[in-house]
Amino acid sequence: MSPMVGALSLLLVILAGLAVLPFFGSGYVVSFSIQVFMWMALAGSWNLISGFTGYVSFGHVAFFGVGAYTGALLITKAGWHWLLAGLAGSLPAAALALVIGYPCLRLKGPYFAIAMLGLNEVVRALVSYFEGFTGGGSGVSLPPILSIVPVYYAMGAVAMAVTLLTYRIITCQFGLRLLSIREDEMAAEVMGINTARLKLYAFLLSAVFPGIVGGFYAWYASHVEPLSVFPLLTTITMIIMCLFGGKGTVFGPVLGAGLLSVFQELVWARFLFVHQAIFGALIVGVVLLMPRGILGVLQERYRLPRTI
Amino acid sequence: MPDASILDIRDVTKRFGGVTAVNRCSLALTPGKIYGLIGPNGSGKTTLFNCVTGIEPRDEGEIRFKGERIDGLKPHQVARRGIGRTFQIIRVFPELTALENLLVVTREPFETARRKAQELLKFVTLERLQHEYAGNLSYGQQKLLEFIRVLMTDPELILLDEPAAGVNRTLLNELLAAIARLRDQGKTILIVEHDMKVVMGLCEAVFVLDYGEKIAEGPPGVIQTDERVIEAYFGR
Repeated sequence: MSPMVGALSLLLVILAGLAVLPFFGSGYVVSFSIQVFMWMALAGSWNLISGFTGYVSFGHVAFFGVGAYTGALLITKAGWHWLLAGLAGSLPAAALALVIGYPCLRLKGPYFAIAMLGLNEVVRALVSYFEGFTGGGSGVSLPPILSIVPVYYAMGAVAMAVTLLTYRIITCQFGLRLLSIREDEMAAEVMGINTARLKLYAFLLSAVFPGIVGGFYAWYASHVEPLSVFPLLTTITMIIMCLFGGKGTVFGPVLGAGLLSVFQELVWARFLFVHQAIFGALIVGVVLLMPRGILGVLQERYRLPRTI
Repeated sequence: MPDASILDIRDVTKRFGGVTAVNRCSLALTPGKIYGLIGPNGSGKTTLFNCVTGIEPRDEGEIRFKGERIDGLKPHQVARRGIGRTFQIIRVFPELTALENLLVVTREPFETARRKAQELLKFVTLERLQHEYAGNLSYGQQKLLEFIRVLMTDPELILLDEPAAGVNRTLLNELLAAIARLRDQGKTILIVEHDMKVVMGLCEAVFVLDYGEKIAEGPPGVIQTDERVIEAYFGR
């Protein structure tokens, strides 16, 4: 029981440290932490559908973007408080996931990935098209944000919620069943598991949090436009972070998002022009050398439980 | 007596493009017996299994389980009615542990399921490997795991696709004893098997398929001497 207690204490110390960080850290540190939390929530959400069921979503940023626009419009046009507007970002994201997931989760392998890629392009095009409502290509500008500290806590809470939910899922039969879909969907189906419904549940959960993160992001960035909230690179980044840390684990996306954010920041500061190349090389290395990710490798080597 | 059958397959046809994999095939299984389904490679045995379990919807004909139509149901719906199956090529969940492979399919409360899973693992002497990833087990062990996974849901009808292939003799005898015990508990079992010793020793009746058609049925002793069966296997 003692390694468990140790891990738990470490976790509590980290959490306590993060809770008081805004009182001591500089604006840069707080702002950087917001981004890390954002990536943790996004990578963790992607993990819920793709890490667990193996259905690789290449359009996950669509939920983020839809949430961002929802937040931005509710704040500017309806005068909502940013916290409520951000949380409301989850609703259209969930609705979109339902409408798209129902037909598309029947597609297998690369076909699902491509359909999701298409989804993001369609949503981005629609947002650009309805200019009167969304501001078209120039987007929506929000009132300037006075303090980013509340956003720090809000974003941190979402990252924590995703991680807790992942833990909850992995420790119940729903999680095992999602994993069985990844392992062998037909065998799961023949054993009486309603794979279509479970995939849809996982997909809905994986869309809700990017919607909220998007809503908070709109407030934090003070501006949303199609190119800034629907970039393919955001989807790719969440995928890489999740794979790097360990897909299908609880803390894999947290670790991946944390390490890669720091890495990116360091490299970016030192090698402005080649940082993308270095980042790309890292990705190739991870996929080739440890496709299970850091925690996946540790899990197998040291027989750690699934709940890491 | 159609109502006395637990599984009643009537005039089922399944085509893949121009190939008729199963051709107007009819068979009826009486509860509590072990049946064999044999035939040369490509004769439609596995396709017939797939039609029954809903993986490949039949094109024509009717399939009834305990008197109710099950053709047209999804695989998980068929499974929940009480039909379990194993696959010719092993389909355990490789990155779940042996124990998780069993727990994932249960519809019982967790503690009951865990006890049952552990009994089943002991039964096939895999209890020491319960926390090992299924993918790390040997071929024979995976085969056994797949077999006990079917038993987790307690199906009334069990379809086994070549259960003996790749299992060593000692384990095989235990496996055959287990299948016989299931029959004694009132389960109905349909086995696709190439090992004639297994078929002859275990099955009370045998169906023979050739080019998707049922060419013979009857007790194993009679089937062995049937001219059409000999022809199908060895040529004229």
